[in-house]
Amino acid sequence: MTTFENDLTRVLGPRVSFDPEVLAAYDHDLGEMPRALTALFQCAPQAVAVPRDAAEVAAVLGIAGKYRLPVTPRGQATSGYGGSVPVKAGIVLDLSEMTRVLSVDQALGTVDVQPGVVWNELSRELAKYNLDNRITPTSAPSSTVGGWFAMGGVGIGSMTYGSIADVVRQIDVAGLDGSVTTYQGRDMELFHQTCGILGVVTRLRLACRQACEMRACGALLPTPESLAACLADLRAGSSPYSLSVQSAGYMKMRAQAEGGEAPAESGFLLVAAYPATAPGDAFLAKTASRHGGRPVDERVARHDWEGRFYPMRIKKNGPSMLVGEVYLPEGAFPAAWREIEAALPGPLGLEAVATADGRLAMLIYIPDNAKSLLYPLRMPKAMIPLAVARRFGGSVYSPGLWFARHSKELFGPAKYRAVMELKKRLDPFNLLNPGKITGANVLGLPGVEISSLIGLAGILAAPLSRRLPYQRRELA
Amino acid sequence: MTHTAPTNSAARMDLPGDLTYAMDTCARCGFCKTVCTTYPFGGGFEPFSPRAKVHYLKEVLAGRAELSPAWVDRMYQCTTCERCAEVCQTSIPLVHLWEAARSALVTAGLGPMPAHKKIREFVEKWGNPYGESCENQAQWMLPEHKPAQSAELLLFGGCTASYRMPSMLRNGASILQHSDIPYVFAAGKEVCCASPFLRTGQDEVAAKLIRSNLELFAELGVKRIVSPCGGCSKTLKHDYPKWAKKLGLPFDAEVVHFSEMYAGLIAEGRIKPNRTLDMTVTYHDPCHVGRSQGLYDQPRAILAAIPGVTLVEMENVRQSARCCGAGGGVKANYPAMAGEIAKKRVKEAMDTGAETLVTMCPFCQASFDAAIKNIGAPLGLIGVDELLLQAMTP
Repeated sequence: MTTFENDLTRVLGPRVSFDPEVLAAYDHDLGEMPRALTALFQCAPQAVAVPRDAAEVAAVLGIAGKYRLPVTPRGQATSGYGGSVPVKAGIVLDLSEMTRVLSVDQALGTVDVQPGVVWNELSRELAKYNLDNRITPTSAPSSTVGGWFAMGGVGIGSMTYGSIADVVRQIDVAGLDGSVTTYQGRDMELFHQTCGILGVVTRLRLACRQACEMRACGALLPTPESLAACLADLRAGSSPYSLSVQSAGYMKMRAQAEGGEAPAESGFLLVAAYPATAPGDAFLAKTASRHGGRPVDERVARHDWEGRFYPMRIKKNGPSMLVGEVYLPEGAFPAAWREIEAALPGPLGLEAVATADGRLAMLIYIPDNAKSLLYPLRMPKAMIPLAVARRFGGSVYSPGLWFARHSKELFGPAKYRAVMELKKRLDPFNLLNPGKITGANVLGLPGVEISSLIGLAGILAAPLSRRLPYQRRELA
Repeated sequence: MTHTAPTNSAARMDLPGDLTYAMDTCARCGFCKTVCTTYPFGGGFEPFSPRAKVHYLKEVLAGRAELSPAWVDRMYQCTTCERCAEVCQTSIPLVHLWEAARSALVTAGLGPMPAHKKIREFVEKWGNPYGESCENQAQWMLPEHKPAQSAELLLFGGCTASYRMPSMLRNGASILQHSDIPYVFAAGKEVCCASPFLRTGQDEVAAKLIRSNLELFAELGVKRIVSPCGGCSKTLKHDYPKWAKKLGLPFDAEVVHFSEMYAGLIAEGRIKPNRTLDMTVTYHDPCHVGRSQGLYDQPRAILAAIPGVTLVEMENVRQSARCCGAGGGVKANYPAMAGEIAKKRVKEAMDTGAETLVTMCPFCQASFDAAIKNIGAPLGLIGVDELLLQAMTP
């Protein structure tokens, strides 16, 4: 008898597993979601497939199409939006073994890679050609190129080069019919940030930059207003490769985690990285001073730059962190930040990067403990930054599963419509990463969509959650 | 304080409270997965990653997962190389966690693995995991080696060096003699440092071995202990103080690896490697010398002091150095895996163009020796101490 198990085994041999213990390791991503929430879905898959090339991906998709099995593509699951978490079981397509750098065009400054290539590994490989990644996520030591494209986002270098969508030039996409199609330009954009609901990316062509040493410098700004003004002046008057911001709360958490001293007890730390050949120390110092700030010791800036891939070290203060992640127009930062601070009394940390289009991508951290019985009741705190940001023209950072209802707002009506039309055409049975972007219905409750439910719960429970402080347990 | 898994698990598991808190801080970032030495041998499946092992242990403690034989096996497929701990965002002491988990598995009757039980039988009978008679413990000595009856310094040979790969121990004794440093060697009395048993969770036998050595150290009245072995020096330096406290025995000796001693003697001008050795070498940082003890500069300082020796570094060095594959009981129970890991490192060494691979741990040396022979690599293999001794000899 032909079964999907047999077919998958025929294609992948030992690189497919149906072992429940193995499958259980794929029922979550980086996010610490309450069990009551994940229990609403079939998060554990029926099979995990580990392909090594596009042909194998296409073959697995062909089998999924034949048996009408959902497929959830997954990189390293380093995002907390549920994008790589199954909601209707099916097959998890673990792409983390597709790690080949396929070709480098040194003259054009591009590289073709498989989706499972890890950002830092790619940087190491490109260095051989005097090239480097234009942008990297702060999760670069483990996150994959394909995963970031599928989730969308900005990172280090986005001040100069924009988002991941601005860096990817061309993609190959495997579909449920077993085909592999090349996309670029506007057609390609539909696959960006849509979590693989239209197909699975099997190759990406990235634009690179010339490799160069970066030099970090920093300044302390006393108020949100002075920070925003300083950021605006730095944009206008210099060309930083990267601009990042930390609030005093974040600096304190980080110092506690590292066992050191925070650079300041109030205000904001602004760190700029410039190519070493065109340092911006003097300009930053002058600009910061004009806005009531002062430059920091070079060691502080260098420490921050060298630790740029370690934003979650502050989790030592948790042990968990509620995280709100939003985009916000830079000019709106002072008013929005004051509201967020007022709405979230207690320890609160902000880390942000500036983007080329005048926004801040902000991560707001609130220490908590996922094991606590009250954790689910305190979780709506993480929704408050989004509510505030939206009122100031901001948006959700990425939709994934948990924020699927914001997809239309984030993509804009035209892209959203085009995505939905293509989805109907390419995936009429909703097999490709169901629940992401389009929304997931709660198990047994048709018509109840999870991200809307979360949104509603956030609105209703936020006032209560604010009044539930978390007291960190001290270790004996 | 300990946290205990509910009894609906297949077996109970206890872990110290500080480790359970540390596990709760896991960011699930997967940095550990990308550097893990043994993850590539798991077919690409997530459960073989350190990140997944942390998640699994949390699930077991919460009573949502069971201690299955497959998971026990995965828990033992780890060389304790510490690369995971080195990159961990929240500084989880992952190797302590793996060792504590293994200890809990042994207590629960689910561990260790068959080969580890075998070495336990050997050590209980012979005092070393190789099943060698302790009468052979001084077989490496040259006629000119004259250990003192009493001295402040103890030369702790370690089992691998004493019984299998004696060159580093032999050279160490020669260099000590050359430097007029008196030392004692407890031939026939030194027992295994207990490293293989602490790494594989066999605390009961480890305690007996540690007790025996601690009593020996007290009897000899030594103030300083030097060892050529990465595993022994790490264990004596980091584990013995804790165990001495636990066993209620005194232990205040300073422990050093030979790399520290040589580098110190060179810096003080007591060793003068004057002879030129024209060779290009690449240095392998043993996990238990480098990441465990932070000894990265000392071996390089020794090499730099030898005229004519050019060091070319491998791609992954110091904190990022790859493992030789032998540690944590992997070589004993998963020899094929250990062999493949060693070959990978040898290939990395060959990529440097160096003619010789040098290291400072007999356990690593034994792994590379087999790997070089296995793949027919045109690569020499020698201890840093050997080069030093050659350069000291007119």
